Amino acid sequence: MRHLSLFLLCLAACTHALHSYEVGVTDWHKPLAGVPLVQSHSTAPVFHRRRYEDGQTSSVVLTATQSNVLAAIHSANGSIAWRHIFDDDDHIIGFKRDTDIVVALSGPGGANFRVFDSNSGHLLLERRLHDLAAGRLQEPESLGTSVGFGAEEKEKDIYVLTNGHTLRRLDRHTGEVRWGWTAPDQTSSVLYSKIFVTLSTVYLLGLSKSFASYTLHVTSLSPDGGVVVYSGNVPSSIKTGFSQAFVLSDVSAPDTVPRVVWFEDGKIKSLELAPELTAKPATVKGAAYKTIEDVGLSEYGQFVAIAENGSGRVIKLTPEGLKVIWEYSDSATSPTRTGSIYSGGLDVDGHPYIARVFWAHSLKTMSAHVFASHLAEGKGLVTGYTFPFKTGEHGIIRHVAVEAANPEHYRVLARLAVTTTTGAVQMWQKDQLQWTREEGLADIRVAELVELPERKIALHLDSEHETFGARVARQLLDAQDFPQYAVNFVRRFVTGSYTSVSTPVVAPTNASEPLSRDAFGFRKVIVAATPYGKIYGIDSANGDVLWSRVFGLGWAAQVGGQIIPAKLFVTRTVNDGESPQVVLVTQRKASNGLVDTVLFHVDALTGEDARRQSPSNDLLQGEDAVSGPLVEAFLLPTDAGRAVVLLDEFLQVHLYPNSDEVKAAFAAVAPSLRIPLRSGPPGQRRLTGHQVPSEVEFTGLHIAYPTWSLPFPTGEDIFAVFARPTDPVASLGKVLGNRTTLYKYLNPNLVGVVTGPPSTAPLSEKATCGVYLLDGAKGTIIYHAILPSVGGRCDVKATLVENWLVYHYYDPEVVVNQAKGYRVVSVELYEGRGVDDKRKSSDMSSLSNATTDVSVYEQAYVFPRGIRTITPTSTSYGISVKDIIVANENGQIQSFPRRFLDPRRPKHKPTTEEAEEWLIQYDPVIPDDPKRVLSHHYQVAKTQKIVTSPALLESTSLVFAHGLDLFFTRIAPSNTFDVLSESFNKPQLVVTIAGLAFAIVVVKPIVARKKLRERWYD
Amino acid sequence: MGLSHDLLVWPRAYPATQQTSAASSATRRDCFFPTLLAGASQTMSTSTEVSKWRHLPPPPGFASTVSSSKSSGKAVAAATASTASYEELKSKRAWDLAFSPAKSLPMQAFMLYMSGGGVQIFSMGIVFMLLSSPFKNLAAINTAFAPFAPASAPPKSLTTLPLQKIAYLLCNLLTLALGLWKCRSMGLLPTGTGDWLAFETRGQPPEILLV
Repeated sequence: MRHLSLFLLCLAACTHALHSYEVGVTDWHKPLAGVPLVQSHSTAPVFHRRRYEDGQTSSVVLTATQSNVLAAIHSANGSIAWRHIFDDDDHIIGFKRDTDIVVALSGPGGANFRVFDSNSGHLLLERRLHDLAAGRLQEPESLGTSVGFGAEEKEKDIYVLTNGHTLRRLDRHTGEVRWGWTAPDQTSSVLYSKIFVTLSTVYLLGLSKSFASYTLHVTSLSPDGGVVVYSGNVPSSIKTGFSQAFVLSDVSAPDTVPRVVWFEDGKIKSLELAPELTAKPATVKGAAYKTIEDVGLSEYGQFVAIAENGSGRVIKLTPEGLKVIWEYSDSATSPTRTGSIYSGGLDVDGHPYIARVFWAHSLKTMSAHVFASHLAEGKGLVTGYTFPFKTGEHGIIRHVAVEAANPEHYRVLARLAVTTTTGAVQMWQKDQLQWTREEGLADIRVAELVELPERKIALHLDSEHETFGARVARQLLDAQDFPQYAVNFVRRFVTGSYTSVSTPVVAPTNASEPLSRDAFGFRKVIVAATPYGKIYGIDSANGDVLWSRVFGLGWAAQVGGQIIPAKLFVTRTVNDGESPQVVLVTQRKASNGLVDTVLFHVDALTGEDARRQSPSNDLLQGEDAVSGPLVEAFLLPTDAGRAVVLLDEFLQVHLYPNSDEVKAAFAAVAPSLRIPLRSGPPGQRRLTGHQVPSEVEFTGLHIAYPTWSLPFPTGEDIFAVFARPTDPVASLGKVLGNRTTLYKYLNPNLVGVVTGPPSTAPLSEKATCGVYLLDGAKGTIIYHAILPSVGGRCDVKATLVENWLVYHYYDPEVVVNQAKGYRVVSVELYEGRGVDDKRKSSDMSSLSNATTDVSVYEQAYVFPRGIRTITPTSTSYGISVKDIIVANENGQIQSFPRRFLDPRRPKHKPTTEEAEEWLIQYDPVIPDDPKRVLSHHYQVAKTQKIVTSPALLESTSLVFAHGLDLFFTRIAPSNTFDVLSESFNKPQLVVTIAGLAFAIVVVKPIVARKKLRERWYD
Repeated sequence: MGLSHDLLVWPRAYPATQQTSAASSATRRDCFFPTLLAGASQTMSTSTEVSKWRHLPPPPGFASTVSSSKSSGKAVAAATASTASYEELKSKRAWDLAFSPAKSLPMQAFMLYMSGGGVQIFSMGIVFMLLSSPFKNLAAINTAFAPFAPASAPPKSLTTLPLQKIAYLLCNLLTLALGLWKCRSMGLLPTGTGDWLAFETRGQPPEILLV
C-alpha cells in the first residue's frame, strides 16, 4: 500500500501538461454569448451589415445579453464573430451601432462609454463619463441614457446622454469631449432619454413627471457648442413612458421635417421638430389605436400602430404628416392565432422592411409577413410564408430581428433572427433554419454527468425475451463480423493501435444507435437545466446537444410562470442495470405569486419522461411534489432504490417516488437521519439540526423536528453549506516516512460553512468572514477560521474532500513583510493527538466524545490570482491524488497539484523521511504554472461551477465547467498510470520477441548437434 | 557432466575438495564457480556422495589400474596412518564447516552495502539468498556433517558432532539476522502501522447526514 502511494506520488511529481495535439480532442469549448436582452430596443438583437474595404459585406447579429456580454454573431453560420464580456458589476445598458463602430454604455447611469470596431470587436475607446457613485439607477436601466451619431456624412461625432441629464459630444476617434451640457435643473422631474441629431440642431427628449402621466419635454441645442436654443414642454400626456414616444425621420428624404411621435389616449400625436418648436401637435386621423411600436425603423420614417381590433398598420412619415401606408390583413386579434411581433430591418441598399411574425394555432406553424414599402412601384408589397418553428423544442418566440434581400423584383427574401423563451437564438432564411444557438446554456443552474451503458448491453437490452430461433439468427448475424474481428485483432496485436487516452471519444456514426460508453468511460451525458425552462442532455465527447426538453408549466400555464431548477439527482445509474434516470427538483414561480415544487423525472439517455406522462415531442410535464416552496431536497439511497427527500416550509418530508416500498424503506432509516438546515432571520442566522421520527403524522407525512441549534455571531450570514463529495476514500490514513500512520479524520457528518456579513448590512471594514467545519449531526465546531473581508464583502471559496479543506480568500491587510493578495489555506484533519492515534472516525457515532479529538495541520499560501470557483478532482476509487481545479479570473481552468498545497510541507529542508513522503520544502507562493492550465488558450468566461466526475479509468477525472461558456476536459492528477504509455513501442516489443523466437528455432538443433559431438569426440 | 555440477565448491574449502577430487580423479577439470549466488553454504555438501562413484568402472580410455592402484595406495596409507590423527583431522574439518557461514559474513555485508538500499532485482536477489540459505543449510545439516562423523557414530544422525552443529546453527542464524536487518533497512518488514493500514476496515456510520 505504502509503495503504491509512493509510486503514485512519484508519478504525480512528473509534470503533466496538456499537449497541443490533445487540444480539441480530449477537450472541447463552446463559447456562448448569453440570452439576448430583448426587453429594450437598445439591447435587443439587431442585424448589422459590415462593409469591408473591398466592397464586400457580411452580416452579423449584434446583441447585448443577460450574461452581460456584447456579442456579434455571424448571420451565415451562427458562430461568434466577437464578444466583449463586461465585468459583473458593470451592467451593459445599451449599445448603438454606426457603419463601422458599436458604442456601448454600461454601469450605473451609463458611467462607462466604450467604442468597438464592428468588424473585429476591438475596443477602440474606453472612457468613464461620471463617477460610479454619481450614477443614477433607473428602472429600466436603459432609461436616461442614449447614444446618437452626428448627421454629417462622414466622421460623425458621438453624442452621449447619461444619467438622464448630461449630454456630451465626443470625438469618434479620440474620445475627447468637444462639449458637455448638463441640464441646469437636475433636481427637477425632467428625465432626458432620447437624442435626435440633425445637421443644425441636437434635440433631447425627456419626460417630466406630472400628475398621473408624463409630459414630453424637448430641449434643442446647437451641435457646435452645446448652447441651448429652446427648452420647454410639449402639451402631452404620455402614460407608458418612452416605449411609445420616439422621433421619426427619413434618411431617404432628408427634406422631410422630422417629427416626434407619441401615443396619447388612443391617439397617435406628432409634432414637427424645429429648433424653436413652434408647431402645434397633430393627430393621426382615422381609427382608434391600442398602442404604437417603434420597430427600429424610426430613421426610415416608419413605425407600426396597433388598432383597437389588434390589426397592425404601418405608418410612414411624409412631408404632409403621418400616413397609414399599409394594414396587415388578418392581423386582428383572433383565437386562431397569437398576437403578432413586429420588427423592422433593412436590405443591402438600405430599404426598410417590416416583418410581422405570429403563431397560427390552426396550422401549428409560425407565419411571417414581410412588408416592403418601396416595392410594387411604391405601393408596398407583402411576402407571406410559414416556417416550421418547433415550439415544443424552443418555447415561444419573444423577439424577432429581420434582415431582407430583394434579389429580383417582387421577390423578398427575409432572414429572421429569432430569440425564444428557452434562450435559443435561431436564424431562419425564409422557411429554412440556418442555425440554432442554445444560449440558454450560458446560465446552467444544475448539471450532472451521467454514466453511459456499455455497448453490448445497449444493443441486447431485450435478450431475455427473445425466442431460440431469433437468438440463433442474431448470433449468426453477429458471427458474420468474426473475420473482420480476427483481422482487427491481429492488426491491433501487431501494430499496437489500441484506443489510447488521447484518442477522441468517437461518437458513433450511426445516429440511431443507442448511446454507449467508450473504452475508458470518458463519454458521459451531461444533464443540465437552465432557468429558461429547459433541460438538456449534452454529449461529453463533443458538446453537442443530444436531447432537450421544455418544461410544461402545469396549472400555471394559464397564468404564466417560470421554472427555476434547484437540484438535480441521478436516481438510477447504469450499475442498476437499466438506463440511467435523473430527477430534477425545481421551483415553479407562477406569475400570480404562487410557488410550487415540481419534479421532472427523465431518462438521461433520451430525455424521455420516465413517468410516461408526456409524449416525446411535446412539453415535459412534471409532478407537483409539494404545493409550496421547497426548503431542501436530498438524495437518499435506500433499500428500495434512491429516493428524493423533499422538505417543505413546515418541515414535512415528501418522498419521490412516493411508493409504499420507498415509504417503508424511509421509515426504517428515518431515525438515523440528521439534517442541518439554515434558519433564523437575517443577522441572526443559525444552523439547526433536525431529525425525523419514524412515525408519520396524521397527514401521512413525517415531520422533522429540531434537535440542536448553532447560532453564528451577529452580523454573520450563512453564505454556503457544503459537504464532502460521496466519492470513496481509498486510504484511511496517511503513512509517514517512519511508517507510522496519521489516521484521516473522516467523520461522515462533517459539514463546511462559509459565513460573512449579510449583503443588506452596511459596508464596514471591520466585518469578517468565517469558515467553519462542523459536526452536522450535533453542531459541534471542529475547525473555525476568521478571515478578513474586503471592504465589508466576503469572497471566500472553499471545498472539502476527504479530510482536506481548502479555502481561498483575499487578504487586504498590509503587515510588515506581507503584501495584500490572494491566499489559499490548506487544512488537513487527522484523528487523535498525533501519529498512530486511531479513533475510527469514519464509523463513529456522533454521540461519541471522540468526534472532537482532531489534530489540525494547516498552512497558508499566497495564491497567484482570484478565482471564481474551486473543486477537487474525483476518481472512481479515490486512489489517485486529488488535485484542486479552479476557474481563475483570467478565464482559465487551472489545476493545482496537491503536493504544493500539502499542509505538511516542512519549513526546513526535507529530511530523508519527509523526502520519502515526497514532501517539498514550504514556499509561501504557489507557483502559477502555465503548463497546468487545462483550458489551453480558450477563454472560458464567467465560470460559475466546475463539475468533476470519475471516468472508468481510476487515473482520470472528467472536468466540466459551466458559466457563460461550456468547457469539458479530463485530467489525470497522478498521470495515466493504468494505461500503457502512448510512447510505448509495441512493434519493437513484438519484433524483438519474434526475433528471439526465430533465433531459438534456428539455434536449438545446432546446439543439440554440438553437444552430442562434444560427448563423443571432445 | 553431472559431476561438475556436484562439485560446486568454494575456494576456501579447496584443500579438502582437492583431496577427494584427487582421490576420485574421475574429474578431468576441477570446476570452481566462485559465483556470488552459489554461496558458501553448499560447501562440500556432496563430498560424501563421492563414495558412490568409487566403485564405478572407469570411463573408456582410462586405465583402471592407475586409478585402482592410486586408491588402493591411499587406502593402504590410511590404514597405516594412525586412526586418532584421522579422527582429529575430521573433527577439525567439521569445525571449519561449522564456522564457514560466519567467515563469509563480512563478504556478504560488503555485498549488501554495495547493492544499495533500493528495492531492485540485484539487492532483492542478495536478500533472498541471505534469507533462504540458512534454511537450506540447516535442512541439509546432517548430510553436510556426515563425512566428518567419527567412525564410531552413525554419520547421518543428529546427535553426531553436536557442538559443531550448534555452532553451524548459530552461524546460519547470523546470516539470517543479516538478511533481516537488510530487509528492515529497506523497509520490507511490516513493522509500522502504515504497513497494516490497507487491511483496516470501517463499518457503516450509524447516522446518515443529509446536506
